Amino acid sequence: MLLPQILLNGVLTGGLYGLMAFGMALVWGVLKILNLAHGSLIMLGGYMVYYLFTLFGLDPFAALPIAALFMFVFGYLLQRFLINLIVRATMLSTLLIAFGIDVIITYLAQLFFSADFRTINPAYSGANFSVLGLTVPVVGLAAFIIAVILAAAIWFVLNHTPLGRAIRATAQNLTAARLYGIAPVRIYAMTFGIGAALAGVAGGLFGLTTHLTPYIGAELTAKSFVIAIIGGLTNPFNVIFGGIAVGIAEQLGSFYLGATYSDVISFGLLVLVLVLRPVRSLRATLP
Amino acid sequence: MRVFRMIAGAIGAFSVLLSPAIADDGVIKLGASVQLTGAKANTGRYYRNAYALTIDKINDMGGIKVGDKRYRLELVVLDNQSDVNLSVRQYVRLITSDKVDFLLGPYTSNFALTDSSVAEKYQVPMVQGGGAAAEIFSRGYRYIFGTFAPAGDYFVSTIDMLGQLTPKVETVSLISADDSFDLSVAEGTRKHLKQAGIAIVLDEQFRDEHGEFSSILSKIKAAHSDAILVACHEPDALNFIRKAKSLGVDPGYFQSFTVGVPTADFRHALGDDANYTFGMTAWLPSSVLKDRWFGNAAQFAESYKAKYGYEPDYHAASAAVDVETFVYAIEKAGSLNREAVRDAIAQSDFDSLYAHIAFSKTGQIILPQIVVQIQDGELKPIYTDKFLNWPHYPIPPWNDR
Amino acid sequence: MRRLVLIILFGAALLAALPYFASDVMMQFAINALLMAVLAQSWNIIGGFTGYMSFGNSVFHGLGVYGTAIAMAQFHMGFGVGLVLGVILALLCALVIGLPVLRLRGPYFAIATLGLSAAMGALVSNLDIAGANIGLALPLIRNDFMFYELSLALLVACTLSVAWISASRFGAGLVAIREDEQAAAAMGVNATRFKVIAWMLSAFFTALAGGLYAYWISFIDPASAFDPTLNVRMVIMAVFGGPGTVLGPLVGSFALSAVYELLSNWLSTAAALFFGLIVVLCVIFTPRGLADVIVGVRQSGLNYLMRNIRDNRL
Repeated sequence: MLLPQILLNGVLTGGLYGLMAFGMALVWGVLKILNLAHGSLIMLGGYMVYYLFTLFGLDPFAALPIAALFMFVFGYLLQRFLINLIVRATMLSTLLIAFGIDVIITYLAQLFFSADFRTINPAYSGANFSVLGLTVPVVGLAAFIIAVILAAAIWFVLNHTPLGRAIRATAQNLTAARLYGIAPVRIYAMTFGIGAALAGVAGGLFGLTTHLTPYIGAELTAKSFVIAIIGGLTNPFNVIFGGIAVGIAEQLGSFYLGATYSDVISFGLLVLVLVLRPVRSLRATLP
Repeated sequence: MRVFRMIAGAIGAFSVLLSPAIADDGVIKLGASVQLTGAKANTGRYYRNAYALTIDKINDMGGIKVGDKRYRLELVVLDNQSDVNLSVRQYVRLITSDKVDFLLGPYTSNFALTDSSVAEKYQVPMVQGGGAAAEIFSRGYRYIFGTFAPAGDYFVSTIDMLGQLTPKVETVSLISADDSFDLSVAEGTRKHLKQAGIAIVLDEQFRDEHGEFSSILSKIKAAHSDAILVACHEPDALNFIRKAKSLGVDPGYFQSFTVGVPTADFRHALGDDANYTFGMTAWLPSSVLKDRWFGNAAQFAESYKAKYGYEPDYHAASAAVDVETFVYAIEKAGSLNREAVRDAIAQSDFDSLYAHIAFSKTGQIILPQIVVQIQDGELKPIYTDKFLNWPHYPIPPWNDR
Repeated sequence: MRRLVLIILFGAALLAALPYFASDVMMQFAINALLMAVLAQSWNIIGGFTGYMSFGNSVFHGLGVYGTAIAMAQFHMGFGVGLVLGVILALLCALVIGLPVLRLRGPYFAIATLGLSAAMGALVSNLDIAGANIGLALPLIRNDFMFYELSLALLVACTLSVAWISASRFGAGLVAIREDEQAAAAMGVNATRFKVIAWMLSAFFTALAGGLYAYWISFIDPASAFDPTLNVRMVIMAVFGGPGTVLGPLVGSFALSAVYELLSNWLSTAAALFFGLIVVLCVIFTPRGLADVIVGVRQSGLNYLMRNIRDNRL
């Protein structure tokens, strides 16, 4: 029963991984920004849910949409009034500004939230049930389902709404998009806002399963990176598959090699995927 | 050309800014670089606060007498931002530019390992209460002293206690993080378990502060061990317990963590799930521990809480006694000479709010850990060499709580 | 070219005299700043000239650190042997890994190298010969004069190499690759060979700096040796000064090292906040580096700063 359980663990963690990577894949695919501050946005979302839960007694799952809304506004303003100033410069510049923003957010988070460890811990956070001898954690399963629903929602928005068409057009050709009356200034801000909102949801679920500190950002950024790349940027469902692939690889790796090897495995996998996959299929544009 | 003039100018201006201050007589400066921001800030603050509180207390009570002169203590604390490289530079700065007389330590073994090389290089005595790893003391350094017990002995009192409880623990899963402190703990624990005749059925490491415990917990479940012993720091202990509950992995009769359990933060973060968890502390604020400056440990804890708004734990007590060790040694040596003070530290022999302070040849103190357990949301001391309170044992499975 | 070499040598001669009047703290800062400058300048070869944004240079730094540390701490060999070992490891790594990874373009190269450095750090922390995740203690030596002069010599050698590159056909080939790799290949530049050589050169100097750092700091662990933020700092410093120029990375790294040190000393805990603000402001107002600012401000005064925003905003 051990191996199926390990695989299940991998799939469930993978769902959350995929959710963490959505925002990063979207921002990158459309804006061509490697958002080093993505992990910090996840962290902020986690704290928001934490405070809605502890201060206002709001159920964490009910707090997720509120956190997402706040994060959307935050992301929108950040892109609209700061990152848009630099967005046409080289990728190096956008990378560096994201790095600077990450440093600032982390510092301010420590100032306001303190360095204490926080967990979002409602009564049901450790609940689980058994199916066919496998233990299924309730929160992990909920996170997985939310990830799938959000993937479907993103897919629908991108492919079947005017906003989605505008985003796709902007991603493919900035000048042409302008000609069709799309204002890239707002589309960029919208896209970054959506990315931040997704990060916020991921952060809340992250806080429900592990712990929050102001410093978790860097690691989450790296992980999101790996998953976005392995999954590819063309389809939100692929990001989830990327997450599941990394989740399973990590679990199997720590099962057979030992848990100290988990990073060797996920980052090694990243390099392998990049080197072995034909570059064409990795083009950073949406369908 | 112009560029180089600019650089030379900047460097010139810079060296003026950093030119050494002149130490006035009657002041003894103690310097430390600790984690006030960054990943270790949560525990780093204990050190800054305990250093400051103790120094204020000693100054209020008239300072230190050296020969027939009275000295005031002064504290210089720098924030190393949880960055080892920065902390090394800051210790050099403390010695050469801030002209501190003696050094207090940072938090965690990894920092103490690196920073103690600075102390050794400049031959400035350092008493540190933040690192317990064997490597800090096994390098033959002369100027480094530690007020944590050797990491390898952390589980000794726990194993001793297990021998007296029924049902008997015959098999354990030993889990540890892979940093210097936790590896030292694991190594010592293997030896002690063997002596006690307890079999290790699972021995696993994970990456320090990156614990993702699903697969380890699944292995524990399959191993059916009677007890789980975990060597790790606080965040990993939190994650371990949360993951264990959500995967329905019961501890067997017993589970214990080296670090984290005694802190208020830990109970706060886990709520009811913290109950039944065993841990250990080298120190509890008991009035039995008499102290020259604070009266006793309970009074120290009281004034600490009054000043900083949270309860001190053994980190704070260990830090406080580092300051007291210097005061003791300086008075004993009757001089500020670093060599004389170093020798006096090595021969320390006094009671304090923390423990009886006497260093071994390598520079560590011997201090048994007190086994503690969280019972109904409260931290209870359970066992030293005898039972202090009755443990809730065996730990019930998650479903029966 | 001749003028440039003279400037470099003159500056080096000035700096070489620093230990005779600098305090110990100043020396610590200076050694650190020099080593940082070597790292930024080495990155400049692959990142600035060739246009390949490497996040794998921290791998070479780590290998340099560990080559030296393993030789000295585990086998009790001399410092020189350690340096050579570190350099060999780094060059082998650059060659073996460079061949597949340098085929990737743009962000994919950056991400692959980022993954590489994370994987390498995690791998080394599992190796017993490298002290696992605990680290290794090197023999103690208190000789900042030696470390300073060695670091300075390394920086001079590295900068002279970059000066040579900038004036050579090899450098022209690298720049051609940066501007348009396909066109460069069509013009007869052997892109693969050029890129791998550039990366190995970068690795060579980076590993030497790592080896010096290891002996100087005397205790090393995987987290500090393979620190990915170290690589981010190399990039920031090179880009801040002006990537693809000879003196830009030097100016950038000295300036930022000084700013960071001053902030840490004056503001203590708020240093990180201001460092972040400075990075953000610099990216917005001076996205092409200090070298470009000097030219730009001379031409059009403060308008230069505004023009950058107009050029790059949406």
